[in-house]
Amino acid sequence: MPDPTPEPPIDWVAAERSPEFQALIAAKRRFVVPATVFFLSWYIGFILLAGYAKDFMASSVYEGLTVGYCLALTQFAMVGILGVAYLRRAENVYDPLAAQAAQVALDAGRDGEARS
Amino acid sequence: MTVLAASVNVEALVIFAFVLGITLAITYWASKRMTGADSFFAAGRSITAFQNGLAISGDYLSAASFLGIAGLIFIFGFDGFLYSVGFLVAFLTVMFLLAERMRNAGKYTIADVLSFRLNERPARTAAAAGTLTVAAFYLIAQMVGAGVLIQALVGFDFSVAVLLTGVFMLMYVIFGGMLATTWVQIIKACLLMVGILIMSAFVLERVGFNPIELFNRAEANTTAESTFSLGPGTFLSSPVDTVSLGIALVLGTAGLPHILIRFFTVPDGKAARGSVVIAMFIIGGFYILTTFIGFGARAFLGQEGVAAAGTGGNLAAPNLAQFLGGGEGTFGGDLFLAVIAAVAFATILAVVAGLVLSASGAVAHDIWTSIIRKGKPHSDKEEIMVARIAATSIGAISIAIAIIGGEGLNVSFMVGLAFAVAASANFPALVCALSWRRFNTTGAVTGVTFGIVSSIFLVIISPKVWPGPDGEGGMLSFYDLANPGIISIPLGFFGCWLGTVLGKPEVGQRSFDELYVRSETGLQAEGSVLVPTGPAAAATPPPAVAGGR
Repeated sequence: MPDPTPEPPIDWVAAERSPEFQALIAAKRRFVVPATVFFLSWYIGFILLAGYAKDFMASSVYEGLTVGYCLALTQFAMVGILGVAYLRRAENVYDPLAAQAAQVALDAGRDGEARS
Repeated sequence: MTVLAASVNVEALVIFAFVLGITLAITYWASKRMTGADSFFAAGRSITAFQNGLAISGDYLSAASFLGIAGLIFIFGFDGFLYSVGFLVAFLTVMFLLAERMRNAGKYTIADVLSFRLNERPARTAAAAGTLTVAAFYLIAQMVGAGVLIQALVGFDFSVAVLLTGVFMLMYVIFGGMLATTWVQIIKACLLMVGILIMSAFVLERVGFNPIELFNRAEANTTAESTFSLGPGTFLSSPVDTVSLGIALVLGTAGLPHILIRFFTVPDGKAARGSVVIAMFIIGGFYILTTFIGFGARAFLGQEGVAAAGTGGNLAAPNLAQFLGGGEGTFGGDLFLAVIAAVAFATILAVVAGLVLSASGAVAHDIWTSIIRKGKPHSDKEEIMVARIAATSIGAISIAIAIIGGEGLNVSFMVGLAFAVAASANFPALVCALSWRRFNTTGAVTGVTFGIVSSIFLVIISPKVWPGPDGEGGMLSFYDLANPGIISIPLGFFGCWLGTVLGKPEVGQRSFDELYVRSETGLQAEGSVLVPTGPAAAATPPPAVAGGR
């Protein structure tokens, strides 16, 4: 199946070094690294409590509702909030940056083709 | 061999036949749309984010998630819920570290991503070994589970039930490929969600829609011999084991091949990321509802219900359905039981189909193409044929092992092993391949080998395999971890590092830069549309090519 517009050869090293790509990576890291550290800490903290602080986890918040169940629910909330936050940032920030970085790489490739 | 046990549930039989009929119609429809390897392995990349979110849920929520966790909560209380939390939080790992990048860098299998810029043959072999190990253990566990459940719920003989599950699983995969598998998973997810919503509504209705009243009644309905508790520690008594299990769950999902290949079925990285969030909401909702089923079973069935719920309490949910419908022998009770049984059956079918498909991709696309054919070009037709043969063989072997091993086969040990290998072999290698510039072929092979070998070794010497005379002690007095994750995952990462340091730097055809730019931007991703360029784009000055850093 021949492609109607053959893709130009891309200088991947140059594309990786382009300011546009570096801007994308920097923007992503600003969110993904702290978010990952946070969710892993919160989750492992929860598991450590379940393993080592059984009495605390079994203590009642209100009647049959325990601290453990409430903390488990915060994990569910965390997943929902981080999931939606990442989705929104990706659409508003990363996608435009990624499109720019890709465009720059493609244009550089086309220029290279035209010159040779 | 008797085909039917003494008591066959007629309602269940009718509903089973109905569900199977629908799935066969889908398979026929999908087989008509089969055009090439892209259709067979990746559903033509035509699945939308929402559909894929449902399909991921259908692929992920096994009978262990539904009946298993509800049963654990029924018998042990809070500890069952710990599994749910780990299974759900795992999707943050998948989203932040893998989903989009897998989609952008791969084609059909996780080996595509791992071997992208490495020496293809050894890297692919390692990745295929990881995929096949996980898929094999998981598949056998699911097949045994299917046999036990169908035997109990419908009245088929164990062997017949396993065979039936295996035959339908193979029909979906062989004739319908990924498209049929996807739609079976979507329908299953819908059935499962509707089923558990209705059941939860029935449970909550009895306590005036007050969950706290449900917890109170659950706690009140215990006796001296009950293991049930609203706090942790009744099932997972060893704290180190709890932590080890938790880590394996949260990282293991990001190494499950049948989940990761789902990202190749969507058009782009954006859809891959969207589908994870959809799946998070479905799976999260599902696990919260499971607690109502588990606590509901404790509140209404009580300690007398434990014996009837079978090993691990797997039959607690169906028994609760029967109770809610009006009890044993009533039309409502039998009907509700039949519906939940059919939902459980659909649940198993969707998961095993996904597993067989991922294993057949590893054989056809990875082992056949790069090791047997040494990367020489060959037709799509050949690759699909190899995949079909592989699926049939894998299916036949797992059916045989499940039937020979029988009901006594230790399912929890195999599921634990599958998750341990996924977290210790597949996950470290994938993360290093995508993020670490220096990572090389030796690192990938060593990392996967360390992960697989250490997981299997540690599970073999664990107390699950060597229960000892008192059911407590392991083979070795100093090692009593049931879940190897806390040791095997660091060993997997250590293997990746050690191999990389000892091995030669990479001289592959493709560079890390290509993988990095492609995975992060989607440029030249499989099935992507070329970014359109206009006059405005020409005005952008080309970046300095030789700009060193």
